[in-house]
Amino acid sequence: MSAKWQIHRRTFLRGVGAALALPALDAMLPSLGSVVSAATSSPQKFPKRMAFVYVPNGVTMKDWMPAATGTDFELPRILQPLAAHKNDFSILSGFAQTQGFAHGDGAGDHARASASFLTGTHARKTSGSDIRAGVSVDQIAAERVGDQTVLPSLELSCDSGPRLGSCDSGYSCAYQFNLSWRSETMPMMPEVDPQQVFERLFGDVAGGANSQRARSRRAMFQQSILDFVSDDARRLQSRLGTNDRRKLDEYLTAVREIEKRVELAQKSSPRLPANVHSPEAHHGFEEHVRLMFDMLALAFQTDSTRVSTFIISHEGSNRPYPFAGVKEGHHEISHHQNNPEAIEKITKVNTFHARQFAYFLDKLKSVKEGDGTLLDNCMIVYGSGIGDGNRHNHDDLPVLLAGRGGGTITPGRHINAPPRTPLNNLYLSMLDRIGAPTDRFGDSTGRFDSIA
Amino acid sequence: MRIPLLTFSLLLAATLPAAGEPAPAADLDARPLLTRYCYECHGDGASSGDLQLDAFKTLADVRKDKATWAKVIRYARTQTMPPPDAERQPTQAEREKMVGSLTLQVYDIDLKHPDPGPLVLRRLNQTEYRNTIRDLTGVTFDPTLDFPQDDTGYGFDNIGDVLTLPPMLLEKYLHAADKILDQAIPTDGSSNKMPEPMRKLFVRHLGPNGASTTRPVARDSDAARLILADFARHAWRRPPRVDEMDRLLRLYLFARKNGEHFFDGIKHAFKGVLVSPSFLFRGEIYAERVPGVRPVSEFELASRLSYFLWSTTPDDELLDLAGHGALRKNLDAQVKRMLASPKSKAFVENFAGQWLQFRNLDAAHPDPRMFEAYDDRVRDDMRRETQLFVESLVTDDRNPIELLTADYTFLNGRLAKYYGIPGVDGKDFRRVSLAGTNRRGILTQGSILTLTSNPTRTSPVKRGKWVLESLLGTAPPPPPPEVPALDGGDAKHQLTGTLRQRMEKHRADPNCASCHAPMDPIGFGLENFDAIGRWRDKDGKDPIDPAASFTDGSKFSGAVQLVDLLAKTRRNDFCRALTEAAMTYAIGRGVEPFDQPAVDRVAADLRKDDAKFTTLILGIIRSAPFQLRRGDTTASARSTTDLHGMIEAAVARTGDASPGGTTR
Repeated sequence: MSAKWQIHRRTFLRGVGAALALPALDAMLPSLGSVVSAATSSPQKFPKRMAFVYVPNGVTMKDWMPAATGTDFELPRILQPLAAHKNDFSILSGFAQTQGFAHGDGAGDHARASASFLTGTHARKTSGSDIRAGVSVDQIAAERVGDQTVLPSLELSCDSGPRLGSCDSGYSCAYQFNLSWRSETMPMMPEVDPQQVFERLFGDVAGGANSQRARSRRAMFQQSILDFVSDDARRLQSRLGTNDRRKLDEYLTAVREIEKRVELAQKSSPRLPANVHSPEAHHGFEEHVRLMFDMLALAFQTDSTRVSTFIISHEGSNRPYPFAGVKEGHHEISHHQNNPEAIEKITKVNTFHARQFAYFLDKLKSVKEGDGTLLDNCMIVYGSGIGDGNRHNHDDLPVLLAGRGGGTITPGRHINAPPRTPLNNLYLSMLDRIGAPTDRFGDSTGRFDSIA
Repeated sequence: MRIPLLTFSLLLAATLPAAGEPAPAADLDARPLLTRYCYECHGDGASSGDLQLDAFKTLADVRKDKATWAKVIRYARTQTMPPPDAERQPTQAEREKMVGSLTLQVYDIDLKHPDPGPLVLRRLNQTEYRNTIRDLTGVTFDPTLDFPQDDTGYGFDNIGDVLTLPPMLLEKYLHAADKILDQAIPTDGSSNKMPEPMRKLFVRHLGPNGASTTRPVARDSDAARLILADFARHAWRRPPRVDEMDRLLRLYLFARKNGEHFFDGIKHAFKGVLVSPSFLFRGEIYAERVPGVRPVSEFELASRLSYFLWSTTPDDELLDLAGHGALRKNLDAQVKRMLASPKSKAFVENFAGQWLQFRNLDAAHPDPRMFEAYDDRVRDDMRRETQLFVESLVTDDRNPIELLTADYTFLNGRLAKYYGIPGVDGKDFRRVSLAGTNRRGILTQGSILTLTSNPTRTSPVKRGKWVLESLLGTAPPPPPPEVPALDGGDAKHQLTGTLRQRMEKHRADPNCASCHAPMDPIGFGLENFDAIGRWRDKDGKDPIDPAASFTDGSKFSGAVQLVDLLAKTRRNDFCRALTEAAMTYAIGRGVEPFDQPAVDRVAADLRKDDAKFTTLILGIIRSAPFQLRRGDTTASARSTTDLHGMIEAAVARTGDASPGGTTR
């Protein structure tokens, strides 16, 4: 499983992906002794990265939560696969996203769970008109630090295939299949294909035409298209009533973001780490998850982005896990009604997910940065917006925080926060660390600096 | 009147006071019905569930709390209320009268001056993008490999509000345009290497010998302008405006000045066309802002028709008619032509496939060890059966009720054997009679039976819910949290027995009964079909008992009788659900209260015995939400003129082309 950045080279296509390049990428390569950050060009200063990894339908709490707090605790069953990383992550208990609760909106806890997980806001109940949640923590970070990397943020998911049916109880599927929200009305759709992710990150490399002149020329051509279409969008927009302008706002925002990238691409020369190639087609769910983690680690390693979200499976997913001994649908058994057999199966699914997360931490630790590892400069939240799948509660959430945030976080602990501490408080503390301090967002009531 | 007002015109006469604002103390016309059927629990001092209907004394009070009244209307319509054990039950006619009159009054709907709803800008979804590129350029491009999954709303993937455009997607559009144009236009401009639509386009303007790349820029520009205008008209589904043409030509000249050949210059401008919001979004944006409701332009109508029935861009015939202002005049003939085209398979795949969810069969994961017989081939066969079946209803213009009741289906040898139906051999699908078998209509097709099952067992609740939700549009509210589940239960509430016995215990709880009473019997009736759609007589060791009854006393002995019963007693619900779904798909937004008159009108036509599939399709196409648009000013969504008259005049039909039931 480990060497999944395979030999299979795809023909890379020219286009915007090709016109974009990585800033001073070789600076990030582990083989180079002295490291210079693209952003600051001060030696020995590595960028901090943040990621949020989502698992659905809650967990079996008795097999998740250690009995003791502090540093002296036994890892419970579900977290056993993470034993090798015990000193690199903390278990955070007592956190809540209370905006996931119904608050008069009736059923739909799965939709609200994922919509509130990174936003701390209450999703508007709608099947499709006027969807509305809130800006998510990753996008707040991307807004501030995203201009320093090729991709301001990277959204990933393993939910390929069409999204049909009515989704959860009168909520649009947008709430369940997206985690990241750029604005309160625009979710950031995730990539599900590892090859596509690779192409977005490194398309230019294999596409050839690496000379400065060729890149400038392509950037110039790209810019002429962007000028044309944004002109178009502005003209159309001026003819619309205020309520209908949103679509073209989105369009213009996208144009501006791409313009920034085209500009970046002109200045820098792209480089891929040695022996890294586009991933091959994957077979099976586990391989898919691991390839996505590979891509995420690679994106961080090459400083192609510093902010990411990854939905291992969407909230409410009824995927069976026969390879983990669970042939029933995940959602179906998560309504376990305290039936020991069903609970056991949920534990198995949870353990499977934890094993994949351990693989990711392995990967991050295998990359050296200065005297430490890539993981040391990361802040990775892993968790679910539902505590117990049977109760659909949005407090007592299962949350892990991995990495040392560039020396600002002390992992290896079980930290028990006061009951119903808003998860957004933790996020505020993470935003401070990545350089995007914010006074409040969503339902935050303060910071949670006990992670230090 | 050519467009019948049926239900609502009757209601109008019976229930509405004079047009205009109601008098301040005006009351609900449905008050007597509410008093009779609801006050026992929600009036006269009673306030079950914190709802006291007589606390709303006037119409003004009612309109102040639309959320509550929306619930009242929904519960009455879905027969959730009065609860099945209530002594007094309204007749179907009374129920419809209550729902219809409440809808009109609560939402202050003026039948004569319908509100067509907000302008919806719809981004092309993956399917539409693929088909549009195919028809426009002849290039096969598969967006599922490149683009992120579209979000869905109201069960469909063509809903304007959820089709957002994050930066990543625009990046993909830029990339895709390069990829597509590299295939569409070879650098040497050799027209015989071009896909057909491109070849035709270039030959139209350059002649069969193509352009010389060495001619002076000035003459090239003339040719370029013609080519660009032609391409933009097709891509944007309307003629480009003068300022747009000037800017497009500048793109071409930019490339030429930077040393590109004629064809690469064209390609550069084409890229602008394919990434422009005018290509990626559809929805009419006027050149200037105009007040007042009006019919959509002919070009917009061509787009609406084309994406509704074909999931792709309008063809030359539609664009030419629109260009001559003759599309509305030829609407029926065009719709017939479109339905007869193979492109209308897209309607079945995308509308029916999402409405009935069979497009989603991949998401069903029957446990491979318990169901060895189920594999990818069976799955594809099942999906094909349902696709062909619905296609035949559309192309043969059958009554949509046959979706439920058809005594035929489409099978190949493999699927027939799987179903246990003799006499069908070979790999080709063909129409097969179901006479003398245990199957009837869509409810007994493997696709539906499988996708409404759990991985390891059937789920009568899921099947019942699917029927109520998709086919009948009367989905019960979701269960409250912490209800005892079927598969276990804690020590105190241990449920034992067969699946059905356990479910019946569950349903004995009055809290569960009101929702499960209409739902579970449907699932029981289908229990003879296992979780992958095969016939079975036993569930494990226990014999299956497929007989059940509904709270109104109607009984059935098994699947075939169940289907007949539903078709007979729930026909109104079926017609309405089908209409709402098709309307949602057609207009790209949810059906709102102000759309109800339009929905009712189509549904009323649809329930007639001589209704056909075109009754539905033409009904929707002629409706206010499809034909009209709001003005650009927000002051008043309403028109001041009689819009039915306007539609009538616009949709001036000729001869006897009207579908069954719509002429009077």
